Amino acid sequence: MSDPTHIRNFSIIAHIDHGKSTLADRILELTHTVADRDMVEQVLDSMDIERERGITIKAQAVRVLYEAADGETYQLNLIDTPGHVDFTYEVSRSLQACEGVILVVDAAQGVEAQTVANAMMAMNADLEIIPLINKIDLPAAEPERVRHEIEEGLAIPADEAVLASGKTGEGVREVLEAVIRRVPHPVGDAAAPLKALIFDSYFDAYRGVVALIRVIDGTVGANMKVRMMATDVVTDVEEVGVRRPANTPVEELTVGEVGYLITGLKDPALVKVGDTVTLARHGATEPLPGYREVKPMVYTGLYPIDGDQYPDLRDALDKLQLNDPALVYDPESSHALGFGFRVGFLGLLHMEVIKERLEREFDLDLLATAPSVEYHVYTTKGEKVIVHSPQDMPEPGHIERVEEPYLKATVLVPPDYVGQVMELAEGRRSTFKDMQYLSATTVEMHYETPLSELIMDFFDQLKSRTRGYASLDYEYIGYRPSNLVKLDILLAGKPVDALSFIVHREKAYARGKVLTEKLREIIPRQMFEVPIQAAIGGKILARETVRAKRKDVLAKCYGGDITRKRKLIEKQKKGKKRMKSVGNVDVPQDAFMAILKVDE
Amino acid sequence: MMCAPAEPRPLAQHASHHPATLGPVSLYVHVPFCVLKCAYCDFHSQPFCDVSPEEPEHFAWAVGEAARHWAALGVLDDVLSLYVGGGTPTTLGDGLTGSIADLCAIANMRPGAEITVETNPDTSSPELAARLHASGVTRFSVGVQSFDGADLRVLGRCHDAQAAERAVRELVATGARVALDLMCGVPGQSLASWQATLERAVATGAGHVSVYPLTVEEATPLAHHVATGALPEPDPDAAAEMMERADEVLADAGLARYEIASYAREGEQCVHNLGYWTGRPYIGLGPSASSMVPVAAFRAAAASESWADPSVVGVGRVIVDVPADAARVRFTHAADTVAFIRTATGAPEEVEYLTAEEALREDVVLGLRLAEGVAADLAERAGVVDALLRLEQQALVERAGGRWRLTRRGWLLGNEVFAEVW
Ligand SMILES: Nc1nc2c(ncn2[C@@H]2O[C@H](COP(=O)(O)OP(=O)(O)O)[C@@H](O)[C@H]2O)c(=O)[nH]1
Ligand code: SF4
Ligand SMILES: [Mg+2]
Repeated sequence: MSDPTHIRNFSIIAHIDHGKSTLADRILELTHTVADRDMVEQVLDSMDIERERGITIKAQAVRVLYEAADGETYQLNLIDTPGHVDFTYEVSRSLQACEGVILVVDAAQGVEAQTVANAMMAMNADLEIIPLINKIDLPAAEPERVRHEIEEGLAIPADEAVLASGKTGEGVREVLEAVIRRVPHPVGDAAAPLKALIFDSYFDAYRGVVALIRVIDGTVGANMKVRMMATDVVTDVEEVGVRRPANTPVEELTVGEVGYLITGLKDPALVKVGDTVTLARHGATEPLPGYREVKPMVYTGLYPIDGDQYPDLRDALDKLQLNDPALVYDPESSHALGFGFRVGFLGLLHMEVIKERLEREFDLDLLATAPSVEYHVYTTKGEKVIVHSPQDMPEPGHIERVEEPYLKATVLVPPDYVGQVMELAEGRRSTFKDMQYLSATTVEMHYETPLSELIMDFFDQLKSRTRGYASLDYEYIGYRPSNLVKLDILLAGKPVDALSFIVHREKAYARGKVLTEKLREIIPRQMFEVPIQAAIGGKILARETVRAKRKDVLAKCYGGDITRKRKLIEKQKKGKKRMKSVGNVDVPQDAFMAILKVDE
Repeated sequence: MMCAPAEPRPLAQHASHHPATLGPVSLYVHVPFCVLKCAYCDFHSQPFCDVSPEEPEHFAWAVGEAARHWAALGVLDDVLSLYVGGGTPTTLGDGLTGSIADLCAIANMRPGAEITVETNPDTSSPELAARLHASGVTRFSVGVQSFDGADLRVLGRCHDAQAAERAVRELVATGARVALDLMCGVPGQSLASWQATLERAVATGAGHVSVYPLTVEEATPLAHHVATGALPEPDPDAAAEMMERADEVLADAGLARYEIASYAREGEQCVHNLGYWTGRPYIGLGPSASSMVPVAAFRAAAASESWADPSVVGVGRVIVDVPADAARVRFTHAADTVAFIRTATGAPEEVEYLTAEEALREDVVLGLRLAEGVAADLAERAGVVDALLRLEQQALVERAGGRWRLTRRGWLLGNEVFAEVW
């Protein structure tokens, strides 16, 4: 059954919510991979957080056996991928294990920003693209318009696009037939030394590191001795198997096959995603191209609310980093918050997801500071300082210039909302480059935008100003000089490092004002007056005051009230414990994120 | 019918159960009916129009049964005060007179016991007041809330300022003691109108005034109005100022503040309420009413047949399993009137056990509500001296004459104090 001509490896790619995971469900059903009684919606989204949010965060590989119209049985290795821009690298990794993709496009939404981005990735990787127009059961479906958008906007022939519904199951068999017919089968040399790409991995508490691999040449099986080429470690293979979607051991994996590999290695650092596995003796000499390293885009301070959890936080980060190479972190400390880590993420969703996973899967209580980008500061002494945190910003007098990362942002939007997008972009220091009509109903706009502006609730604003119609994608283009300053926030006269942030000089006043106002709302009244100030290098730009609490008393307290009132006071006490005491001011956790919600 | 304090019952009759250390107790009856619901109210009461015609009678019967149950255990051998509250007890009309007489016959009222009935301007009449007074009621507590029409409308009260004033004067005229409840911090209320309300309250001749800042309770019409922006949220600073104003105006009129919310002429302090703040045991009868007794009395009740009998108890029963270190027990009966009627003599729905130390701390917290504060040695026994010293530094409490008490600032910031001590 491991004849490469009967194997097809493909990914399902799409803009978020266009129905990738649902389509995967239907394929699993049609091929009887998951017993009916075990079937749940979006079955491959196995993390709690994926199920709750209804999104895919980790790509998932699964093997199904499909009996095709030609009477033959094929082994299909399909990879369901995430659609959000933060997780683009997951998609690009998955594509290297494939020869083709199903490009899912929502029949009502049409082509959106990540449709374009993902289609480009597939084209650049030379993969066969099978367009599938999904959700044709919807009353608002306009398959013909969407077909047109695919052809015009993406330059992908769509006359053979499959019309399908992940809801009704229509078109699912048809798309699998198209996969068999059009996606090339893998080619490799079964006789050559083993070469397998590690395209993902995760940590299993009992088995150690589990690597997901795609075999290019040769064969791998239990009890073989293999070498990880990049880390140069040699180890025994304990088990190989395939995911259906539960891990199912097999004797061996051979040319073109996708599966998992367990070596018993416990150190995540030794089994790197992108590395090539080969034989320990007479192995391959040239590794596979591997992956371009992903670089974090935003950085935030993560601090345990209970300082004793600091070592636990470090262990947890180690574990999560294993199958998330985009996650980087360094120890950091703050006067206000104690010991924590400066953690780099691909974007805000990535940050939210990691924070939530740390809290849930590792039972930690964390506080996050406002995200920042990586600034390059050139000092008057001619040094270049990398700044991930406002705290590390050199004194204003020592700064020659500051550079910040810029992005090429692509916005897809109906023509009626072009004005709104322009207005928003203008307020965010963005430079308009060009725009073009993808179809009568979709305009593609390009901007050059500082990343730091994009992470300030840009996406939410974009969605709300375009009534949800706009979609956004971006890619990094490089560093450019900007007139940036560090804005300090002082509580009760003392600067609070964890509240400071870096901002364009022209915006400093407005941001400082809105932020102090916001903080005044967030910080509860205390037993004394708390002035809140925004300042640049000692010069006060804005000031607000949280007035001292005057009245806090339960006036009515008779027989039946006593228990109730005691519970109330206990609740108040607990609420206070969850706040961070900065100096002697109790600051709620939201305060450290307030800057994100500031739209002046 | 006159409610003469009953002859002291021979104690020996209950010797097997009687908890020797019980001492005097207070008796409370919760009457869960009102004419209509006020906009801010989250007390347990039903508008009278929703109540089936036989329910008040069944309710009165159940209260009597419950009282008899406690009397049989010897818990009502020395009752210092009876307080009939609610709700609006006077919605029961003449039936109320009979019920009070029954209770006085069941419980052993101490001679000269304080007997208070709560009333509202919309259910009060000179005739009913006279009859209640004649049957032994010594004190009326009237829900006035405000003498300002706009406030009364915001609060959703069923009466206007004139009716309130008339009702209070009629009650004063019976010769009974009269207490008024007032509310400050009502949205739209000005300091001037508050002052006027205070002055009119004093002018009625009432000897007791309670002042409560309005709180917005969840799921009330008031909460809805605030949430939708129809009314502004009550401003705590305005309420604070009004509480201080009340202190001044009432003190000038000879009503001294003796508790956070309570003001009285000399000798008119509420005996019943003082019990709550000084650790005196109390028995509450009626839906959602709470009782508090030393653990021995609770054990005696728990051993009684009716607490063990599931047919009496019905739903929501707490199986009574008294922890070894419990010293004091507070418990509450079913909140629903029909459920109460069914289970009046059964086990309570909710029980809270306090250790000796917790009971002492609670005594300090509640005692600090009083102008006289708590004795230094009580604070010491409760182990809260360090907390009090910290609070003293914040000028929330002070020491005088061997006692701890709240400062002027502490009156307004009581929760800070209670949170430290509790
Ligand atoms: N009506 C309809 N809804 C669909 C269809 N496919 C998916 N959905 C819904 O679209 C939403 C997003 O689907 P999901 O598979 O999670 O999308 P993904 O983000 O691309 O993986 C879910 O609420 C699905 O139930 C379809 O063919 N028709
Ligand atoms: S009269 Fe008192 S108990 Fe009745 S509804 Fe009004 S506030 Fe509530
Ligand atoms: Mg998905």
